[in-house]
Amino acid sequence: MCMSTDKDTDATTATAADLSMLQLSDSFFPTGMYSMSSGLEAIFYSGKKMKAGELRDLVVAFLEYQIGPADCTALGNAYECAAKSDLQKLLEVDRTIFSMKLIQEIRNASTRSGTQLLRCIRSFVNDDDSKILGEYEDAIKGGRAFGPYPVALAVAASVFSIPKRRAGLMMLYSFSISIVGAALRLGMLQHFDGQKVIDELKPTMIKVVNTNIDRPLEGIWQFAPQIDLIEISHEKMSSKMFIT
Amino acid sequence: MHMSTKRIPRLGVGGPVGSGKTMLIEMIVPLLAAKGYKAGIISNDVVSKEDAERMRRTLAKEQGLIPEDLVIGLATGGCPHTAVREDPSMNISVIEEMESKHDYLDLIIIESGGDNITTTFSPALADYFIYIIDVSGGDKYPRKRGLGIETCDLLAINKIDLAPYVGADLAIMERDAKAVRGGKPYVFVNCKTGQGIAKVTEHIIRDVLFESPPKTTTIAKR
Repeated sequence: MCMSTDKDTDATTATAADLSMLQLSDSFFPTGMYSMSSGLEAIFYSGKKMKAGELRDLVVAFLEYQIGPADCTALGNAYECAAKSDLQKLLEVDRTIFSMKLIQEIRNASTRSGTQLLRCIRSFVNDDDSKILGEYEDAIKGGRAFGPYPVALAVAASVFSIPKRRAGLMMLYSFSISIVGAALRLGMLQHFDGQKVIDELKPTMIKVVNTNIDRPLEGIWQFAPQIDLIEISHEKMSSKMFIT
Repeated sequence: MHMSTKRIPRLGVGGPVGSGKTMLIEMIVPLLAAKGYKAGIISNDVVSKEDAERMRRTLAKEQGLIPEDLVIGLATGGCPHTAVREDPSMNISVIEEMESKHDYLDLIIIESGGDNITTTFSPALADYFIYIIDVSGGDKYPRKRGLGIETCDLLAINKIDLAPYVGADLAIMERDAKAVRGGKPYVFVNCKTGQGIAKVTEHIIRDVLFESPPKTTTIAKR
């Protein structure tokens, strides 16, 4: 199996990795992201009217203060561990990011998405091509790991030779889409506005990946108390359309 | 959490909003319990967990047939068919958690959120799929076809007592159900009175459980 690298050394390999990147970040890939609003539903039902620009700013806050410094850092570290087939370090990253998912709904959603992602790709990736994939999934089954989404995605990206930075962009893009998609379904904005918001988020996604993807694990952080409170509010809702 | 390696048979129940999915489950579970079979339930709800709470109240609190934690409500982000077909990952995750904690269960029932006649269950999620329609939608429904009606393992036509009041001809529905389903089973039911429910239960025990005996004789209490 190829060691993952940011250089496109071979046109054929680059094309396959590019397609794998599209496959994993496609909304059709079964990880349940369509069912998550990351607390946006709680904001909607609180009565707050949010314009497209405010939604964009909310996603920016998520990316810069939570998903970037926490999930992206975890992904970058997990990616390196997977590339080196270092299971023990990978489990350390797993435990670290799991412990930072403070809200139970968010924690459950992350581990469910992550474990199902691994299950899916293991159904078509040969164990001989990726020992670390099987070892990590076995660790989850054995109760030694939790399978949070950033770590699972990192392992998957490494298996498919998707460059690390692109894997980070995939994660941030998928996250942004899940919130914009939730906003569409809640009727908070219409589809053209949704695409405009996604387009406007691109510079932030790039900046957040560049800032965090190579951050060492001991530098991982997050600080978004208002977002935490929104997600707690969602957890307490008796009537929900989304699981987060 | 340790993943169970023992897969419990899974029954999917789908159908339009208000067709009687929840009530069908509420009628089936006691009949299965009477024969010693234990079931867990995952209720996919589009908007609220009302259905899950209702089943918890009737099946767990009132009848004591299953522990409350075996009726789980799962929100689906406004995409009920996605949750049981294109991307059943969240349902599968909850099922696996159920299997690992309650391996004595004989059956896991997944109720989809109300959707249209094209709803089907992924075979990765459900081993057997009951699609329920009701006569108040009109006797045109079987011949409208739709993947749910055509391909389900068992078609249940509910609320047959209302047929005279809504101008639905049961004979036409039966004729059309036979024609579109090519010999696959259908059953007329009245979930309010229980008419036809025994037949549904027989199908489940024969076609899903293969008439194997219940795993235990007592419900595990938490």
